[in-house]
Amino acid sequence: MTGLQFPLATDRLELRHFERADVALVGRYHMLPAVQRYLVRPTRYQEDVAAAVEIMRGQVCLQRPGDTLTLAMQRKGDKAVLGHVSLHWSDATAGQGELLFAIDPAYAGGGFLTEALTAMLDLAFGHYGIHRVFVRCDGRNHHSAKLMQKLGMRLEAHYREHALFQGEWDEELHFAILDREWQATSKVHPLPLRDRVA
Amino acid sequence: MGFYPDLPIITQRLTLRPFTRGDVDAVLDYRGREDVALYLFDTALSREECALAVQQRILQTSWSAEGDKIVLAAVLSESDTLIGELSLIWRSEDARQGEIGWIFHPDHHGRGYATEAASALLDLGFQGADLHRIFARCDARNASSWRLMERLGMRREAHFREHALFKGGWDEEFVYAVLRREWRTGG
Ligand SMILES: CC(C)(COP(=O)(O)OP(=O)(O)OC[C@H]1O[C@@H](n2cnc3c(N)ncnc32)[C@H](O)[C@@H]1OP(=O)(O)O)[C@@H](O)C(=O)NCCC(=O)NCCS
Repeated sequence: MTGLQFPLATDRLELRHFERADVALVGRYHMLPAVQRYLVRPTRYQEDVAAAVEIMRGQVCLQRPGDTLTLAMQRKGDKAVLGHVSLHWSDATAGQGELLFAIDPAYAGGGFLTEALTAMLDLAFGHYGIHRVFVRCDGRNHHSAKLMQKLGMRLEAHYREHALFQGEWDEELHFAILDREWQATSKVHPLPLRDRVA
Repeated sequence: MGFYPDLPIITQRLTLRPFTRGDVDAVLDYRGREDVALYLFDTALSREECALAVQQRILQTSWSAEGDKIVLAAVLSESDTLIGELSLIWRSEDARQGEIGWIFHPDHHGRGYATEAASALLDLGFQGADLHRIFARCDARNASSWRLMERLGMRREAHFREHALFKGGWDEEFVYAVLRREWRTGG
């Protein structure tokens, strides 16, 4: 697993490791209630944001199962940090990975996540040789669901009232895509060859 | 808080009762078979393994902590024949979630015994244990099991493909579930 170079460039973004100085930028979105759900840990206060950035700063590669790679979505040009994307290697023998992400609502809807997640799927399948990647999302978050479908992911599960989240019944969707399915759909958003990670 | 049900449960044709030491051979009769084990996590059990399983089950009659199982023997009331087993697992205390499972002897398939027993156990889960949601899982190829789930009125919530390895191949799994308000107790 050599030859991987950060930052990864997409059309409009650079996906780079987190730095300590990102705390202020990350604080813009990391404490919002809508963002909490799939974070490594809930962040309610500014101190929590610093701790979360510290954790994300350490997530620089996948070496063993259980590891997570987290990259900041930095816009080219103005260098704004729009959010982050993570690939969690959940199971080695069965080659399973999970994608997690958060975006500052101020930048949602601009296709940035599609770009970043496409690069992460290329990374998961092309570089890390993962067999299946899945994503969990809030059943009431239609933007996430549409985004997953746009990426060519299949809806595998729709759990209703299977858990409590912040005191309310939770609804959760699982989307997944297999390595061979990604080969077939990678036309969705082709990256320039030089930006590919393999 | 825990749940300590009154046992046995009597249905039209069946008695669902705790396991006893004398059940080992009856359990071996079906758990020892390859065809029964095909879609179970366990392989076919030896006599010693059955004895151990029965030993554990004797105590699995109530819940005191998340993860605890109630495992009951399904016995034909008329002839006192043990024909299978059912389990109800406490998956979450705060969200009141349970998981149900079943294994019956092939000689007694196709007569609605599993439906009758599972239906009584769903009653127990919703009414007795005050659960909010009960789910069941099975291999996508295990048609008799997911058809049983559909017969019970459970909804298919998940279809996972190649999400794990199972007995040397890729696993494909269904998850079915029923909510308390969807279930008609006693129905
Ligand atoms: C899963 C399992 C318990 C289902 O058993 P089953 O015999 O199909 O289920 P039932 O006892 O409810 O019987 C239902 C069948 O009997 C018929 N039937 C006859 N009388 C009936 C009655 N009074 N009520 C309901 N059904 C009746 C039904 O029409 C149905 O027939 P069909 O299969 O042709 O549609 C059984 O296949 C099994 O033990 N498998 C091996 C272990 C296993 O895989 N367990 C599940 C792991 S996830």
